[in-house]
Amino acid sequence: MLERDITISNKLGLHARASAKLVQLLQGFKCNAFLVYRGREINAKSIMGVMMLAAGIGSTITLRTDGDDEERAMNEMAALFERKFDEGA
Amino acid sequence: MTVSILLLTHEDMGAALIATAHHILGRMALTVEAHAIPPGTDVDSALRETVAHARKLDAGDGVLVLTDVYGATPSNVAEKLRIAGPEIRRVSGLNLPMLLRVLNYADQPLAELAQTAALGGRTGIRIDDA
Repeated sequence: MLERDITISNKLGLHARASAKLVQLLQGFKCNAFLVYRGREINAKSIMGVMMLAAGIGSTITLRTDGDDEERAMNEMAALFERKFDEGA
Repeated sequence: MTVSILLLTHEDMGAALIATAHHILGRMALTVEAHAIPPGTDVDSALRETVAHARKLDAGDGVLVLTDVYGATPSNVAEKLRIAGPEIRRVSGLNLPMLLRVLNYADQPLAELAQTAALGGRTGIRIDDA
């Protein structure tokens, strides 16, 4: 199992389209993926789970992956956050 | 599994929900179409048109019919689809979280997808702590 803390840096936070991009990215991996925020752990492959976190810019969340391809999933997931979900801001 | 989705509502809120889901998701994992039954529509002709629409939409694994409010005409028409139309499951109380969750679990068979829809609709409703 891998864990990494990341601070959300895109202006709109984990809004609907960003959540969808995250879920769609993770659907390509076999491993389980979770986000932990304010003591809640949710399935990062579930769009409603991700959106219900309502995590805004500046929030620090924990990314967690567990399974065969956990390392690649973690790297790509972290990269998506770092690229600000390709939203430019 | 290729379940198709029919949004059956009073006015064209189905089309608006589809446009919104498309904006959010970029691509739709299942075929989703909207069918409006405006107030005042003759029920018999509404049923005929809805049956035709549902049959056209069915790709062989059934149609999940999401209606706006239980007990109203669109929902009652959906109930009658069970007799005249393709294999369906009806879930009432359509909202955007319900539709998004259905599209998130696109590989599920019809009966399971109906449960997924209901849970999505319920968990999408939140009340802020006082």
